[in-house]
Amino acid sequence: MDRTERLLDLVALLLDAHEPVSWAELKESFPEDYGSGSDEATERKFERDKAELLELGIPLTYVQGDEDRKDGYLLDRSAYYLPEPGFTPEEMAVLYAAGSAALASGAFPGRHDLQHALRKIGFFAGGELAMPRVRMELGAVRETAALPEHLETLWAAASARKWVELVYASPKSPQTSTRKVDPYGLVLRRGVWSLVGYCHLRHGLRTFHVHRIRGLKMNTSKPRTHDFEVPADFAIDAHVPHAPWQWGIEPAVEVRLELRGPLATQAGAHFPDGRLERNGDSTEVVLKVTLLDALLKHVLALWPQARVVSPEPAQARFRALALAVAARHGGAA
Amino acid sequence: MSDVHERLRRLLFVVPYVARHRGVTVQALARQLGVSREELLRDLELLTMVGRPPFQPDDFIDLHVENDQVWVDLDQRFSKPPRLTGPEAAALASAAELLRPAAQTALASALAKLEKVLPAQAKKMYRDLGGAVNARSQASAELGILTRAAEGRRVLEFDYAGRGSTAVEHRRVEPVEVFNHRGQWYLYGWDLARGSERLFRLDRMTGILRTEQTFSPRAMPPARVPDPAERGEVRVRFSALAAPYLRERFGGEARELTDGGVEVKVTGDERWLVQWILSFGGEAEIVEPLSARQAVAAAALRALEQRG
Repeated sequence: MDRTERLLDLVALLLDAHEPVSWAELKESFPEDYGSGSDEATERKFERDKAELLELGIPLTYVQGDEDRKDGYLLDRSAYYLPEPGFTPEEMAVLYAAGSAALASGAFPGRHDLQHALRKIGFFAGGELAMPRVRMELGAVRETAALPEHLETLWAAASARKWVELVYASPKSPQTSTRKVDPYGLVLRRGVWSLVGYCHLRHGLRTFHVHRIRGLKMNTSKPRTHDFEVPADFAIDAHVPHAPWQWGIEPAVEVRLELRGPLATQAGAHFPDGRLERNGDSTEVVLKVTLLDALLKHVLALWPQARVVSPEPAQARFRALALAVAARHGGAA
Repeated sequence: MSDVHERLRRLLFVVPYVARHRGVTVQALARQLGVSREELLRDLELLTMVGRPPFQPDDFIDLHVENDQVWVDLDQRFSKPPRLTGPEAAALASAAELLRPAAQTALASALAKLEKVLPAQAKKMYRDLGGAVNARSQASAELGILTRAAEGRRVLEFDYAGRGSTAVEHRRVEPVEVFNHRGQWYLYGWDLARGSERLFRLDRMTGILRTEQTFSPRAMPPARVPDPAERGEVRVRFSALAAPYLRERFGGEARELTDGGVEVKVTGDERWLVQWILSFGGEAEIVEPLSARQAVAAAALRALEQRG
């Protein structure tokens, strides 16, 4: 019998049963599958099937019998059926819109799980749910063919706590490197997915852009055993910043910018990480910066609505960058 | 994820779904399940063979397709789908973070309800996996005004300063879609004063107001954020230092240079182009046209002149 069919039959049988179903009864009910062959082989087969059902969230347990009931397998019906979560229309709208946008982006870790989750929460909704008006595009990199599959593998590995072996192409190195990584988590910033994990090659936490992964394999041995545990104090947010000047590459410096014109009123939206001081028509924003050039290039692009107020070395570096642009374009300073 | 696992999950959903939506068309069901028509028909055929031992006629799921509609006799065993698994709930919660700025309160209460319907084992896994994916977007809470206006088809009013523009203009817009591109939130809609479709960046909008005025959707092309990686007439060279990033962005469109750098051809208005080149701080150079080269040089010199 086809395995999918057998597993469904098993669920149907157990959902119908009002008392534990013994191993002997299972062998009798599925003679071709559990009833023939060595005891060891058939038991192994059943264990695999059971594990599959448990992974699907099917509450299958083995109960020890007593005077009133026999030994056997039982499916807890009250824990099987999806109860109505009772979402308000607004709650439903936000889950549905965000979930659909994530799926439509074409690359979201756990997209199969997400699809099933959306279907299940939509099960009780009357009629077809309105087409969400929210969308997401990554838009950061040209070559993304392998991205969905890599995200799916990393999601599976992070869920099961299994290490992965990855071949990585860093833009800083002409050669690829192969390393073993414990995947702690995935972060999406500015259209780029990053993996944060413990790198066994470098013996420390490292961040990898998922689109730079050229080969990826998950450890498939002992699939139900954890290869690692994520440290309790691990916070993925701390490893991948929202803004490029927060990359933590240099010692932190405080940089003060002055914003003018429309940017002065949009300062909060533009620099959510900054401390703002409104000053008449202008706004001063103070930022903690750990990659100065990244901020200065950004300011250069915003010029003349943004300028560096302090510290002096940042101003000098800003002038050097502007000079470099002018020099390459035949402008004389 | 094995094929068996995926198929099983799908099939355990199909029966309760069809029981609830009796006579659903094959096409609608395939769309709901994200599979092809052929794949769905194979699934349905398999389901007709599913039953409980001893497999007497009454023991089978009574499912059939008639005139392209799917029917199932109410099967008490499969009246509802199974509960969410830990990874399913975790994937949903991490996707929902995308819209946290828009719906802080609704999201918090939705996630609390979601957790409540998880079985104990799944709840543990859900919590363990909770921090594994972070897709939270950064945006002001006004994102929520945009999404609600787009859903409810209400005209929006706001002040807008376009890229590099020094003037703020008041806009009235029929919001069609809110979307996130490279981490930036945009509003796409019909600008009532200009009589055409327009794209607005959320971080350049201020004083956003949802009016009571409703509108009917117009026929509009899909929203697109202008992409500099589209072939244009402006030739730009990048140093070897910047080249790897440009190769990622432009793919095969980036032409290799002997010094390790790359050359690309881009499109875009001059104001955008100047800002883009400036943002590379000397690692980028416009080769032609001359007018664009001069515009970049002039902007860089003006930036140099500013007093610190």
